[in-house]
Amino acid sequence: MWISMGPQHPMTHGLWTLKVKVDGETVVDTIPDLGYIHRGVEKICESREFTKITTYCDRLCYASANTWSHSYIYAAEDLLEVEVPERAEYIRVIAIELQRIASHLMWLGAFCPDVGNLTAFVWCLREREMMLDLLQELGGSRMHYNFPRIGGVKRDLPIGFAMRARAKLNLFLNRIQETEQLLDESTVFLVRTQGVGYAKPEEMVNYGVTGPNVRAGGVNYDVRWAHPYSVYDQLDWQVSVERPSIKGADSYDRYRVRVDEMRQSALMCLDALNKIPGGAETHYSEGDPMIITKAKERAEEGKTGFHHFEDSRGESMFYMVGGGDQRGKYPYRISIRSPMFITLPYASKCMIGYKVADIPAIMGSFDPCIGETDR
Amino acid sequence: MKIREEYAEEAAQQIVDAAVLRWQGTRLEAEVRHHKSGMARPYVYINCPRNHWRAVAKWLRFEMGVDHCSMITGIHWPDGPDDCKWEVVAHLMRMNVINPPERGGWTKQVIRDPNILQDDDVPMEFEVSISIPDTRSPSVQSVQEVWMGADWNEKETWDLVGIDFEGHENMRRVLQPHDTPVGFHPLQRQHKIRYHDFEYMYDDAQGFGRKAIDEGKIK
Amino acid sequence: MGDWFTVRTWAEEFSQMISDNSIGKTSFSDYSDTFVTVMTEGIMAVTVFGIIMATILILLWIERKFFARIMDRRGATMAIRSLWVGEGGEHVDWYDELPFGTGKPLRWLNELLNNTFGSSSEHETVDRVNDRSYHGIWFLLPGLIQNVADGMKFMTKEWMVPAKADKFIFEVAPFIIITSTVMLFAFIPLSSEIYSANPELSLLFLMAIFGIAPLGVFFAGWSSNNKYTLLGGIRSAAQLTAYEIPLLVTVLSVAVISGSLNIIEIVEFQVSSGSWNIFLLPFGAGLFLITMVAEVERIPFDMPEAEAELVEGWWTEYGGMRWGLMFASEYLRCYAACLLFSLFFLGGWEMPFGDSIINIIPNQDLILGAVGVGLIGLALGMRSEYPALLAPLPLVFMSVVPSIAWLLFKSWVMFAVFVWIRASFHRIRTDQILEFGWRWLLPLSLVNLGFAFWLRLAAWDGGEWPLFVPGLITGIAFVVFVILGIDEDTSELEGRTRPYSVYTGDVGPASPRSHEK
Repeated sequence: MWISMGPQHPMTHGLWTLKVKVDGETVVDTIPDLGYIHRGVEKICESREFTKITTYCDRLCYASANTWSHSYIYAAEDLLEVEVPERAEYIRVIAIELQRIASHLMWLGAFCPDVGNLTAFVWCLREREMMLDLLQELGGSRMHYNFPRIGGVKRDLPIGFAMRARAKLNLFLNRIQETEQLLDESTVFLVRTQGVGYAKPEEMVNYGVTGPNVRAGGVNYDVRWAHPYSVYDQLDWQVSVERPSIKGADSYDRYRVRVDEMRQSALMCLDALNKIPGGAETHYSEGDPMIITKAKERAEEGKTGFHHFEDSRGESMFYMVGGGDQRGKYPYRISIRSPMFITLPYASKCMIGYKVADIPAIMGSFDPCIGETDR
Repeated sequence: MKIREEYAEEAAQQIVDAAVLRWQGTRLEAEVRHHKSGMARPYVYINCPRNHWRAVAKWLRFEMGVDHCSMITGIHWPDGPDDCKWEVVAHLMRMNVINPPERGGWTKQVIRDPNILQDDDVPMEFEVSISIPDTRSPSVQSVQEVWMGADWNEKETWDLVGIDFEGHENMRRVLQPHDTPVGFHPLQRQHKIRYHDFEYMYDDAQGFGRKAIDEGKIK
Repeated sequence: MGDWFTVRTWAEEFSQMISDNSIGKTSFSDYSDTFVTVMTEGIMAVTVFGIIMATILILLWIERKFFARIMDRRGATMAIRSLWVGEGGEHVDWYDELPFGTGKPLRWLNELLNNTFGSSSEHETVDRVNDRSYHGIWFLLPGLIQNVADGMKFMTKEWMVPAKADKFIFEVAPFIIITSTVMLFAFIPLSSEIYSANPELSLLFLMAIFGIAPLGVFFAGWSSNNKYTLLGGIRSAAQLTAYEIPLLVTVLSVAVISGSLNIIEIVEFQVSSGSWNIFLLPFGAGLFLITMVAEVERIPFDMPEAEAELVEGWWTEYGGMRWGLMFASEYLRCYAACLLFSLFFLGGWEMPFGDSIINIIPNQDLILGAVGVGLIGLALGMRSEYPALLAPLPLVFMSVVPSIAWLLFKSWVMFAVFVWIRASFHRIRTDQILEFGWRWLLPLSLVNLGFAFWLRLAAWDGGEWPLFVPGLITGIAFVVFVILGIDEDTSELEGRTRPYSVYTGDVGPASPRSHEK
């Protein structure tokens, strides 16, 4: 019997269809069906200037907007051969890591009601409010910030930002402990998430899955140290890797990795605030060379640029070919690699053999976001 | 904590040398290129002739340890050189991921110190470019069996760009609706999202700048 | 107990008076007894139904407010945390405004908690986060009215039957569910004088009616012609059946220890033997709680209507008042479960320490009782700033409070426990629920039954329980609970290598292939 967990469904974290073939309560086969919010971003960007594409990239994955716009910016800087001042890199890291915390909190806030706990939903969104406040101070809005610029950032850290960020991040580190306790010490949660959705790391990598999903498999791979960019090599952080069982990484491991990643991101932000050149309390005005360098506007034909980036959900990549219309003002082609586009078919395959009731536990633990999947 | 630059350079050069050695006599080109911003990391660029693609893919996977297919995409060059009207670009990565070792019923985490990784252990980015001469139905070989991650990438490339992959099982539309007209691949250059090359339409919400010839047309 | 709220007696006298003045004066005076009976029963049925329907609003209000406080929402519903951290960085002064200085101990408690658990950094940081109060309302009604508004909303929604559904069964299923649920309340006595029907075997009737609803649920799930509802209906039928049996065995153990299958006599037994059943059968009370939560399908046993997979489970296709009535029936069943728990285990309508307080004062006269209690209040009042004159006032009310209020209060507290469970737990998967029910609860309930047998037959001597018996049992239960509740051995946790351990930094001075050792 085919059940269609169709486009309108409270579980699916986005707009896609999962057709599930069910034998009693056991899942026998799955077919994912994407493309409901395919907006044609790649085609649109062929007729936009480089600075205008940043807003599109924010909206690729709306839950994690900063990471996607930075992903684009690094690729654009590779194409246009721009050097970024160090203070701007630190500010970018702060924005990226705050966004990563907010995205993981959104994930946790959506994952817990899937397995039944409604309280953690409200708690996680409450913590996310703190992060959204900080990001609002940086970027100007709560969700789509359009924050980075080619060659730097839009504006410097606001005055008093460091003090507020430190207070909020320290409070967050305490509060996430509480939410983690609620979940980890609940036998019901362990019973629901342990032992479901096994995934072996070698298989995951062959399928193209990256990010927290593969780190839950016990393998220490993170784009931030393997192909380093920005100032991650100067910050004091550790990769979150979980020790899975023989059969592979289950949903509980993926949950643990993301919770620890939240902590690491918070620590990274605090570290960056300490190490930022020029001090965290100074404020440079817009356009100051400490935070942005002027970038050229055109990319000649024949130039290409690409950049692998550690997004909240995996490894995202932008591949840009220069030489488009208007004598190179527009890119000729932008190709976006979305981690979730590759992970969703794999996650659908992971569900075979488990019960229907396990589908939210497994799918939620892979953290799907359909905005970036469909582009 | 990061990979040391000199080790990365060495590793990239080793790969290029191995490629040149293995594929000499064909038209395959391999070189070490660098990113042009940030830390200027090296990556391996390979220009692969069309009929060798699957063999090169297998060689990369099984002998060079390239275990992750990041993206396979296609570009349409209607105004390009004659031997490169279509291009398939594959981005791959060597991640050196293995299943973590097992001990006493549990697995052990695989922790590697990035500062000391050398030679074959260094994660490396690859960019493989395949040119296809002018044709109405471009196609290359599929590498679906080599990397499972190539599966949906190839579906997307065919769906949006129109480049077919020979030997690909279960090719279907993934991003566009299933009932899209056959032969409609939007990322080809002849499909424009503006009409008559009028590029500034998006600034003109009310249509004040419309040409008279377009009276009555829907934007 | 001197309960003055004897509604049934009033109803009888009233109907007798009516009958004397109407039928008795006609030639149908042979039927006056029947008339009196019918009218009394009618009045009682309407009264009981009215009380239940009015107080179900309080139940829904408890659910919303308590749930919100646990979840730390703010605004019209305050967070529990804000009681000691303070909102907006300042201390809340609402307890200073309570009448008669009753807020003073609350302020003391608040400051104690603040000094122990709060921290100053929370004040500034949480104020904006938690400040989602709704500015701009121009009038304020109590939250009970919300549910009236919900009811009106249901009446205006679409009232449809799916095209391919089995129309007859689709429309019959809500009937079964609602009528069986409302019929429950006919047999639940709200006081020794307020009940609608009191057959000798009322417990048996009650449990029988309780078990009809699963049938209606299954009908609803099957007839909607929808794979989701079918799954939900099947799961529900399996779950409810699995938990009926431990429920019945536990209820049987209560009947055994109280010596009767009549609920009023069960409560009388608890009153006369001097100890509530929860202290005699704490294990049974726990089992009853778990099986009842499963029977009314609340989280953690929420699978049949799990939103995550099944949208709304077996009631997906219902709309409008059909769904509204079924939604009400879920809360009515919760209410029945809480009332039953209070009746069976918490002494029903007895005031806590009721007979001890009454026994302190040899004369049960109201005024002397007030004076005696007033002396206690005066002593308390002189230790704090209570106006000593008005302090005994709440205590005086305790003896004029009708016993139905005690029963309702206890059931509301039990419902708050239900809500607490709902807010804290996750949904258990269906096969895990069934395994738990059949393999764990059933044997444990049989053990409980055996214990009840032993207590009644071997350890009871016909009068009051000597104090050490319930005391000993409760003490043992408490110790067992604490032992089970303490966290596991941390060294065993490390050995399990799973929870709480992430990257431990075993980088070490090794070669690149060190992981292969």
